[in-house]
Amino acid sequence: MSLAIPGSPGRRSAAGDDRPAPLPRSLGRTGRLVARVWRKSSVAGLAVYALALGGVLGLASADWATRGGYPFGGVKVGAWTAWPRAGAANADPYTRAVNARRGEIPLAVGEGLLLTAAVDDQGQALDATCSYRIGGGTPPARAWTLTVAGRGAREPGRPAVREGFTSTEVLRSADGRFSVVLAPEVQPGNWLPSPRDSGPVRVALRLYDTPVAASVGSLDRESVPAITRLGCAS
Amino acid sequence: MRLVNLRFVYATLIGLVLAGIVHIAAVLAIPRLSETDAVSRARTSENLDHPQPIYTVATGDEPSPPEAWLPIPDPAVAVGVCAYDLADGPMRVSARTGPLSLSLAAHARRGAFYAVTDQAAVRGALDLVILTRAQYDEALADDDENDPSRDVRIVAPDNRGVVVVRVIAGLPSQRPGANAAVQAVSCTTDMPADESAGKPAAR
Repeated sequence: MSLAIPGSPGRRSAAGDDRPAPLPRSLGRTGRLVARVWRKSSVAGLAVYALALGGVLGLASADWATRGGYPFGGVKVGAWTAWPRAGAANADPYTRAVNARRGEIPLAVGEGLLLTAAVDDQGQALDATCSYRIGGGTPPARAWTLTVAGRGAREPGRPAVREGFTSTEVLRSADGRFSVVLAPEVQPGNWLPSPRDSGPVRVALRLYDTPVAASVGSLDRESVPAITRLGCAS
Repeated sequence: MRLVNLRFVYATLIGLVLAGIVHIAAVLAIPRLSETDAVSRARTSENLDHPQPIYTVATGDEPSPPEAWLPIPDPAVAVGVCAYDLADGPMRVSARTGPLSLSLAAHARRGAFYAVTDQAAVRGALDLVILTRAQYDEALADDDENDPSRDVRIVAPDNRGVVVVRVIAGLPSQRPGANAAVQAVSCTTDMPADESAGKPAAR
């Protein structure tokens, strides 16, 4: 199929060689010129093909790599991914391009740390039809917020019940740990409604004014909230 | 036919190499050319004395206004930006600490180069001055030894950038206060006392 592209100028040039002979004399000179252009066009065609391939493939891959989330720079901690360098001056070029395209203002290292999760502790993707318990402790921070969002734009007309909890308002047990239930149905305690009826969801934990932003390597599974699947509606 | 095939393979290889070069060039050029990044979008606020609110937290039944351009903002944090252009003079950002935690971060096109929270405030005031290297040297030379300045002086890597103000509302009742606290920060361009701003540049 793709061989037809460079093959076609070659075949046409062979046809062009035969064509000028029966033409009248007045057209002979232009015919020969056309024939020469056709013969050379197998090289020119390949050059155009290479340039087009390079341009289209290069731009498309650059667009794909800088669309949506950050391609690199994440540090995996259990189900969570920490993004310590997203707002730093020495962020990688892809992160800078993603920020520039989205108009994002990432948290600087001295300000806080963003952790995101798109899967639960078992590695299964978070789904809006399922319910999850997000609980445990958080790394030391002056304040934190735990928010949930669906992918893409918000559904219009859906009442905004609650998008997240802050460290001040979350209900805690006596030992200071907390447990938030992310579910489509109303739950007792800290209920975080699913942001949409179906489809993948993402959870974000933002730590503000935290010492761990400078040393993400010190984070381990125990220090971040666990995400446990409780069950699915369907 | 085989000749055509070989040529075709060469052309494809050249195309792939070109694709790699175009890919790298495009990724590096996006932050430079982008018109949707925070620094470009915040330009409009350059001659305001207070931060331009870019994300005001929802209060009561009022949803967040549409000026929010942040893709996934934190619903409990009010965000404002002050754009600066150091060619006009150093940028002074003054904040008074309140009951809510506040943070200031200085961003240039390459990313954040400085961030400070209200815990660093001296006697309830946080004064951040962003300047170029030449303006910094001048400020040092002009300092009175008996009355040292309490400003936090930061040398910016670029002439243009933004200062981002974030105020966290821990409880829904604190949300109007958080929006007001962002507006209460002042961003002003320091005018040199004697009009000698051009001197260091000429040196």
